[in-house]
Parts: sequence; C-alpha cells; structure tokens
Amino acid sequence: MSDPIPAVQARSLSKHYGEGNTYVLALKEATFQIAPGEVVALLGPSGSGKSTLLTILGLINPPDTGWLQVGGVDVIRDGAAVGDANLIRRRNLGFVFQRSNLIPFLTAEENVRLVLELDDVPRREAVHRTREILESLGVADRASHLPMQLSGGQQQRVAIARALVHEPSLLLADEPTASLDKELGRRVMELLRTAAIERGAAVLIVTHDHRALDLVDRTFEIEDGVLDTEGAKVHGATL
Amino acid sequence: MNLSLRDIRHDSSRFLLTAVGLGLLLTVVLAMTGIYNGIIKDATALPDSLGADLWIVQRDTRGPFAELTRVSSDLEERARAVPGVARARSYVSHTIQRQLPNGRPLRFTAVGLSWPDDLGGGLPIIKGRPLAQPHYECLVDSSLGLALGQRIPLGRDVYTVVGITDGLLASGGDPAAFFTLSDAQRIQNDVSNEAIRLDREARSARVRQSALGRDPELVRFSGKNAQLIPALGPSPVSAVMLNVDPGVSLDTVQARLQGWQDVTVYSQAEQHALILGGVVEKTRLQIGLFRGLLVVISAILMGLIIYTMTVDKIHSIALLKLLGARMSVILGMILEEALLLGGIAYVLAVILGNFAFDIFPRRVVIENEHRLALLVIVTAISVASSAIGMKKALAADPNEVLAA
Repeated sequence: MSDPIPAVQARSLSKHYGEGNTYVLALKEATFQIAPGEVVALLGPSGSGKSTLLTILGLINPPDTGWLQVGGVDVIRDGAAVGDANLIRRRNLGFVFQRSNLIPFLTAEENVRLVLELDDVPRREAVHRTREILESLGVADRASHLPMQLSGGQQQRVAIARALVHEPSLLLADEPTASLDKELGRRVMELLRTAAIERGAAVLIVTHDHRALDLVDRTFEIEDGVLDTEGAKVHGATL
Repeated sequence: MNLSLRDIRHDSSRFLLTAVGLGLLLTVVLAMTGIYNGIIKDATALPDSLGADLWIVQRDTRGPFAELTRVSSDLEERARAVPGVARARSYVSHTIQRQLPNGRPLRFTAVGLSWPDDLGGGLPIIKGRPLAQPHYECLVDSSLGLALGQRIPLGRDVYTVVGITDGLLASGGDPAAFFTLSDAQRIQNDVSNEAIRLDREARSARVRQSALGRDPELVRFSGKNAQLIPALGPSPVSAVMLNVDPGVSLDTVQARLQGWQDVTVYSQAEQHALILGGVVEKTRLQIGLFRGLLVVISAILMGLIIYTMTVDKIHSIALLKLLGARMSVILGMILEEALLLGGIAYVLAVILGNFAFDIFPRRVVIENEHRLALLVIVTAISVASSAIGMKKALAADPNEVLAA
C-alpha cells in the first residue's frame, strides 16, 4: 500500500525582509511535510520566523523561493503563487488564532456557515454541515448567539468549527491556547486534535505552550529562520 | 448570506440614527430645490395669471414687477386705439402692510384690476366669485389666511373678501390681493385728514404765489378736493396690459407701440426674462448655490460615515480576506450599506418633505422630476462614498488578523 499524499509538503521555502544593512533572512530553505490527521507543533522564540512560515503557508505572503503543495496541489512554485490564492484558502486552509477572531456581527452559526457560503456551497448543505460541526464541538446550543454573548472557550470552539467546517487539508493555528487558562487550553488542544483526526486535516500549531505538547504528533523547532524537522521527536500523542 | 444586512442588524439603532440624520439633510436639499422652484413659479405666477400679451410701462423702466413705474391713466385709452389691440387694461400694484383688528399683521401686494373690463374672472379662484361691485370687494390669495366673507379695514374703507385665489404671490413672496383699480389706488393714496388739509393749503399757496393767483376763483378751487380739479388729472397707473386680436402679429403691435417716446413695451416673455433675470436672480442664485453646497456637504458626510463604518469593521474585512472571500463580496457589502443608507435617507426625505413643505411660509414646488433628480444624486453620492470605504477595504491586510 502506497503512502498517502501529504496534506502539506514544502521544499526550500525561503523569505527575506529588508535590503542592505536591514537585510534579514527570516526563513531559510524550510523543507517538511505533514500527513493528513497529523498534529505538529511549531516551537521557537519570538522573531525566530514562526509567523513568516505561517503567513507563507497561509498564502498571505509569498516566499522568495521554494515550492509548496497543499492537498496534493501546487500552490507555490519557485517562490511564485500558482492559481487563485483566495480559492485555495477558501477550500484548503483553515485558521485558528490566539483570539477567536469571530466576526462580531455574525452569530456563531453564521460565522461558521460563512466559510461554506463564501465557496458557494448550497445553503441547505451549508446549514446542515454547520449544525453538524457545532454539535460535534458542543456549541450547537449557542448557535444563534453573537460572539460577544459567548464565553472565551465557546468562542474558541466556534473558531475551530469555522476552521474545519470546509474540511481543509491544512489547519494553521497561531497560539490557540495563549489566551485561555490551562484547563481550557488543554481542552481546545484536544478538540483540535480530535477534529483533525476525524476530518483528516494536517494541523500546524504555533505555540509557546509546552504543557500540551503531549497532544501533538511531532514538533518543529525554528530559530533564526532555520527550521529543524529532522531532529524532531515523535511524541506518541494520546487522547 | 447578506453581510451588509447582518452588519446593519448588529448596530441597527446607530445605522438608523445616521440614516435619519442624513435624511434630514436631504430634506433640506429637497426643500432648497422646492424653494428654488417656488421662487420662479411665484415670480411669474402673477403676470401669467393676468394673461396679458404686452405690457406698456414707463419709458426705460423694467416694469411693475421690477421697479416703480408710472404711466398716465389715459394710456389705456391711447393703447386701445392702436390697430390690432383687442383689449387694454390698466394695472396698479403696491405692497402694503396693515394690522387686522385682532392684531394679526397683514402684508400683501394690492393689485388693481380695470373695472369693469377685468373682474378677475381669469384668476385661479378656488372659492367664492370674481369681483361684482366697483368698490369694497376683493379677491385674496389663500396663503393670506383670510376667510371668504371676512371684512378687512384698509384706509377709510372696509373691503369684503369675495373670492380666494390659489398660488398668486408677488415676486417678493407676498400674497396678492385684487381690488378694482380705483380701490387699489384709494388704498395706495390713503393719507390722514391732516395731511390732506396741509396738501390743499400748500397747493392753494402755490397758486396764490403764481400768476394764477390773480384769479380768485382759481385760488378758491385750488384749496378743494383734488378730484374736483380737472387740471390735476387722475392718479397714474403702474402699467397698461394689452391683448392683441387673434391673428395679429404681436411683434407688429409691439414695434408700433415702441415708437411712442413716453413708454417702453415688453412682451410677456420679455417680462418673464426681466423678472427671472433681475428681480429674483440673486435669490435664485443664492438658493441654487446653497442647494449645491448642501449636496456637497451631504456627499462629504456620507463619505465620512461610510469610511467610519468601514474602519469599524476593518478587522472583520481583513479576516474575510484571510478566509478567502472574493473582493466582490467585501466591496459589495460596503456598496450595499452605502446604498441602503442613502436609500433610507432618501425615502425619509421624500416622506418628511410631503408633510413638512406645506407648512413652509414660502411656496415649495417639488415635482416627480425633482424627486428623481435627488434619487440620482443620492445614488451617485452613495456610490462615490462607498468608493472611499472600498479603498480602505482594499488596503486591509490579512496579516493584521495574524498579528492581532
């Protein structure tokens, strides 16, 4: 049986900022791959290049050089975007942030359904899938509430639902537990992991929180733009 | 999912208050348009209602609607003798302000009609009847607020309102009241007994001091009522209105009358041009400029409102971009909100105008074409102001979401 196609595969991604005296190489030849359902933590001090890698993977900032494939499709080739970045983000990428970043004028249900409707999923199907994921994350009873009417934990669950409802190949999570207490942070990590496994999404979590590392499959470490994946150990995550 | 409606729903009271504010501003724009039209209509309503083809006025003056003009009362007879003239009527007008017995001020332009040739039957009478007696009757415009049958003391006499006209105002905006020519002159020339006595004494003294004073009979007559002295002649009138026979060239008659060295003759169209180009020109320009200024202010305000609304949700816009929303979705949301804001404000302005303009002291004339013009302007302003918000939205960086 052949290996499954990696959810995300990157080769030689590099990115610099500034020129001359201000020249900084923020990411150097990053090469890695993450399998569907795999959860990877990206660790590193501030200014190490975590955000640069995240914005490249999120197709927000293009790299200078390199190649990136998401869900088996080339999205960056020789440092240049291939295809419609918006379309790829709508279909293949999910985002979870430190704060929930829900749209304040939409209800919890609408925040989640929006992602499907942006991709022209028929309304009936969008409503069904939204209800399903909200139920699976235990916030279906808060569906008609606005974000400001939800607790921090509920908001983060809705944000996870939004990130996964369209079944992306890659979920990028930027410090998703930073604003939560230890217990809630761990529950969010568990939710992320469960949802990723169930939906076959690769998850890359940027975090400083070492307390939940037992819930990830691998860790990547980055420092001065150099991504270390070779030495990363497999944690043998359990739920 | 309609994002604009959901955004509005989220803070509907703020949106509605903004729309009401903008609506009130547009009501003023509409009112200015209506007042502008009203000034033009008012200025021409009176000469139009009198139905003259030609106006004979004092030489080198601009006619009774522009300035003081006096012509001899026998000019009516002279004009009537001109070939092609079907009808000649004297015209007098003067603005007076009196106080009713109940203390209410009464300001109007008194217009004299040639009795018995012109009884006011051609005027737009909405209640009552034309004049039927040579004295002590009048027709008044409805805006004067007088009732049919009401008696108004003016000078030494009391006049009864026998008819109510509609929309007949002088160029200054004062309502018109119609009397017989002699009554209008009587009201105009009304002075106190003491003034009459002093005038007679002065006249008599002038006669005594001149060669005429050698005749004792002349001296005696000179101190009597002026109307009993044929040499003094009747009071002058403001102008003479002419109608030409059907089939007769107006230009021919006018050219012939222009040959008279003591008068100037204007056609109805020239009278219109003189009124609009002179009498109401400054007011018209001022109102027009004010209206233009209000449109610009509305556009600036709306631009600022839409810009602020966009800035308020710039984080959500950046997030939408990060989620892969098409630009058309984001720009459409801003445009829809701007159009909705403008639309609500416009509807409010039209509804408010329908109720409020009737109680304005000056006539406000709003036709469907003016409402349509305002709709076009509001739509243009909405689109233009949404462009400001769109520019801001286009600049929104999805990185802001990650950096937050």
